[in-house]
Amino acid sequence: MDTSRRNVLLAALGALMTAAAGSVFYPLFRYLAPASTAVTKKKVTLQLKEIPEGGAKFFEFEGLAAVLVKQKGGGVAAFSAVCTHLGCIVQWQQGQNQFLCPCHGGQFSSEGAVLGGPPPKPLAKLPFTVNGDSVTIG
Amino acid sequence: MSIPEKIYRWLDVRIGVGELAEKELTGYHLPVTINVWYSLGSVLLFSLALQVVTGILLLVYYVPDADKAFASVTAIMNDVPFGWLIRMCHAVGSNMMVAVLLLHMFSVLFMGSYKRPRELSWLSGFILLNMVMGISLTGYLLPWSQLSFWATTVATNSAGAIPLIGDELVQFLRGGRLVGPYTLGRFFALHVAVIPLGIALLVGVHLFLLKRIGISAPPSGQKDSRVRWKGDSYRYEEHPGGIPFYPNYVVQDMSSICFYLALFLLVVFFDPYIFFPKDAFIPANPFQTPAHIKPEWYFLPNYQTLKIFPSEFMGLMAQGLAMTFLALLPFVDRNPERHPLKRPLFLACAIGGILLWIGLMIWGHYS
Repeated sequence: MDTSRRNVLLAALGALMTAAAGSVFYPLFRYLAPASTAVTKKKVTLQLKEIPEGGAKFFEFEGLAAVLVKQKGGGVAAFSAVCTHLGCIVQWQQGQNQFLCPCHGGQFSSEGAVLGGPPPKPLAKLPFTVNGDSVTIG
Repeated sequence: MSIPEKIYRWLDVRIGVGELAEKELTGYHLPVTINVWYSLGSVLLFSLALQVVTGILLLVYYVPDADKAFASVTAIMNDVPFGWLIRMCHAVGSNMMVAVLLLHMFSVLFMGSYKRPRELSWLSGFILLNMVMGISLTGYLLPWSQLSFWATTVATNSAGAIPLIGDELVQFLRGGRLVGPYTLGRFFALHVAVIPLGIALLVGVHLFLLKRIGISAPPSGQKDSRVRWKGDSYRYEEHPGGIPFYPNYVVQDMSSICFYLALFLLVVFFDPYIFFPKDAFIPANPFQTPAHIKPEWYFLPNYQTLKIFPSEFMGLMAQGLAMTFLALLPFVDRNPERHPLKRPLFLACAIGGILLWIGLMIWGHYS
């Protein structure tokens, strides 16, 4: 009898302590958690005339670096600018019409395909729609 | 053997935790007549820990830049989840820590615990009091509100009353002729690095002295301390037959901490702005002094003293003399009698001093 009463009291004390700890640690976790943990699914619209032919424009998309390439001849392509090797941001080599990753020398074509260096996969393509003079990514 | 027992065994074999616990906890005996006032030190340690934790958390979002400080504090209050809670705990906690510190000091005064051989404990505690005042003053500037800005202007300005070096000293404190971005930089460094290090060091000294000398028996009730200090050689004041620190007095410490926490949370949740005049909600404007700028309650007596003396220098001197007297009290008051009722002169002076201090505070508040 006595042990069961003791057990009930201990369980009640445990529940109370858990609630108290929760009321301290929950605010602490929320305080330190990043402002928005969910990636914002915002569309990005860019003006085509801002980019020279054979040039590229870097922008932020869903919290990561992205790039829009205006290929010679007028075609456009959008990629994630994150190198598939170790996550550096690729650079656009306008003269060579290709991407270079400065970290370990990865090379990608203007279509995102691997040309050389360590990257295991092509650059991730981003969906986009062209509306006259503007491009909407996402 | 259960897992906690295994961990205990593992540690005990290596570093002798059992012996340590016996010496410092169960075998550490306190006077049987020990009272609730002795637990204020633990309450202070607890509130200091709370200030350190909330202060570190505030550092995550606070920007110590005169252009951005106010906005960052506003963001902590309005945008960051539970930011208001962390900031209110820090601001309310500082005020309540000063209040508990004063109570701790008064209990030491009335029970005569500052007397020999505890002069060094009193001195280290006195320096801690000043450091806590300093960390409060420097923290006051950081939100960069009208209140912060002008309170700091007035506080740093009072150093100008010191002859010869006054003007240079004011400029040195401010990092310029006026309170500005450089003042914020140095006050920030003082508030988050310099003074906290000093406080940590002195708390260590204070606790070391407490352990080394042994706790004083309260002046009333039975005398149970074995060694009466004579001044010929070092003696530890032990209390045979007293109550063990753990579990007996730890329960008292915990209940005092819980009582403090209840009061603290009452203020945080039901009247957090009790310590915030409305100028605390306006960004600092160096070109517009608000009317009736006043310091925090614990600086009001100092503020009023500066106003009632004909010259600022005399006001500063009066405060300096009073503080020096307080610091050197154990060297002045050499009578070994510790019971307050058997020290009528001391009692009259102490109560008179506290009433004067409270009177100046009220006068300062309503002037």
